[in-house]
This record gives sequence, structure tokens and C-alpha cells, in this order.
Amino acid sequence: MSTYWPWWAGAIGLALVTINHTLITDRSLGVSAAWDRVLHWRRERELERMDEEFADDQALVEALAAATAEHFGTGTGASTVPQEPYEKSQPLEANAESAASERPAATSLRPAPLVTQAALLISIFLGGFIAAVASGRFHLRYDMGPGFRHLVTADSTPMVAMLFVGGVLVGFGTRLAGGCSSGHGLSGCGRLRPVSLVATAVFFGTAVAVSFLLWKVI
Amino acid sequence: MRTRGAILLANIITGLALGYTVTNIGFGDFAELNRMFTFQDLRMFLSFTGAVAILVCAFALLRVRRTPGRIHAGVIPGAVLFGTGWAISGGCPAIPIIQVASGYLPALITIVGVIVGIRLCRWANARYFHLDRGSCGL
Repeated sequence: MSTYWPWWAGAIGLALVTINHTLITDRSLGVSAAWDRVLHWRRERELERMDEEFADDQALVEALAAATAEHFGTGTGASTVPQEPYEKSQPLEANAESAASERPAATSLRPAPLVTQAALLISIFLGGFIAAVASGRFHLRYDMGPGFRHLVTADSTPMVAMLFVGGVLVGFGTRLAGGCSSGHGLSGCGRLRPVSLVATAVFFGTAVAVSFLLWKVI
Repeated sequence: MRTRGAILLANIITGLALGYTVTNIGFGDFAELNRMFTFQDLRMFLSFTGAVAILVCAFALLRVRRTPGRIHAGVIPGAVLFGTGWAISGGCPAIPIIQVASGYLPALITIVGVIVGIRLCRWANARYFHLDRGSCGL
């Protein structure tokens, strides 16, 4: 008998985690995106600093106007109110409504702060450790268990090679596809995003095909 | 707009709960994973699809904001590579972390592979692909 959770408990657990994250942060849950940003932390930190400098949209508009004035030598005598052709073509009331509704969306489209994504990865480790110890499944070992031994390889050198190659494919593939099983699979499919539905069908279908090969052929 | 503290706290709670849940479902166990992908045991498959079904209803009821995303040239090749890697190493980007946390020390090699793959993808994209891949974390 399996000591793991029944399917319905797993489904409720995964759904609650995703809903909770989405409601509190107003962002999608994406583990591969967190990995990507944490691994490129120097560049991401730089982008965050630039973002913070222009956090206030008005400051950004004024800075752009000043830079434009400086570049074209129009001086400060020019209007300080930025001329925005798109907005000028809109009725005033529509403009106000549009600004009010767009502003929260624009701010929430910024990625979560870098430190919070590092915290996410560390917390996944702690959560997994607590679960393994609490359920009595924690056991330090130098192999990947009987399943891997029977289906992939029992020797240590091929095991290292397969795990490394598998890891590279996972890392490269998730970032090329723009998400993984949490970003595309849960958050994206939950929103019925076409790109996530396609990505999930393809990665799941490929994993099914390769798993059958491992089970029946290799 | 959410404060930095709220997002940090949410990510800590999410990480703890996700690690706890995924470990207890059995995603870190290679044998269970292979049984799911070969449909010998539907338990984990139903956990995943059940979660998606709940999320579809919940996000529609809560009117959760749509996130940007389009089907670009990298989606299908990337998903094929990811699916292959997941089936042979047993790890999507969160799973090697919980495998190490459960005592499977060789999963550290999977993590090294994931790190190399992610860095390689950003480098290759900047140099060759030039794709706007979007981000699932928005």
C-alpha cells in the first residue's frame, strides 16, 4: 500500500498552494522562472535597481521629458507636460479610467523581487525535508531508489551522466518553453492560457513516450 | 500593489507548502513518477489534473488576472526537451530540490544539470534564438 497521499488530497493541496500564491502576490507561481532569475542574479539585481529608480511612472515620464529636452536642446521652456499622442487621441474620461485600470496591471507585471524567489527555492527544500522526516521517508542514500535502478541504470557512472543530462534538458527546455510544470502546468493551465495548454500537452506527452521506452524497451 | 514583505512571506509559505505537498504526493519518487507516465497508477496523474480542474474553476470564480503569453517558436522544442529530461532524471525544476531534501543525494547532480541548462538557454537565446520567451513567473 502506498504511503503517499490519495489523489484527491494531492489535487486539493496543489490547488490551494497555487491559489494562495496567486491571490497574495498577484503573480503566477513559476519555479523555473525563480531558478532563472536567481541564477542570473547580477543582471536581475541590476534590472531591479533600474526598475526601482523608475517605480514612479510620473518620475519616468519627467525623466524622459528632461532627457528629450536635453537631447534636442529645447530647454526647460518647453511644456513640462509630456505629449503622448496615444493618450491625446482618447477622450478624457476614458483616459482616466484607462490609467486607473492599467496601473495596477502594469506594476504587477514586474517580476517578484529577487530575494523572494530565492526564498521560494529554499522554502521548497525545507518543506520537502519536513515532509520526508515527518512521514518517516527520509533516508540518506547514494542512489535514486529501486525505480531508477531498474528502469534507467544501476551503475553509478551512467547514473551521474543520466541525471546530469536529464537536468540540463529540464533546465534548458523549461526556459526555452517559458515555464515548467508549475508555471505552465498549474498556473497557466488553470488560466486556460493557450501557450500553457500546448506546452503542458507536449511535455507531458513526451514524458509519457520516454517513460514507456524506459519501461518496455530499454 | 503588494509590498515586498507580503510577497516574501507569500513565497516562503508557498515554498514550504509546495515542498511538503509535492513530497507527500510522491513526485520525488522515480518509480512513482514512471508509473504515472506509463499510466500504471493514475494516483499522481489525477492529483495533477484534479489540481488543474480546481484551479480552472477557482481562477474563473475569482476572476484572476490573465497573464501574458503567446505560442512562440521555442514552446514545442522546449517542452519536448523538458519532457525528455523529466522522464529520465525524474526532476522538473522543483523536484530535484525535494529529492535532495528526502535524502537522494545524487539529485544534487540533477540540480547542477538544471543550473547548467538554464544558464545555457539564456546564453543561447541571446546569441542565436532571439526569442521573447515570456515568463511563467509574472
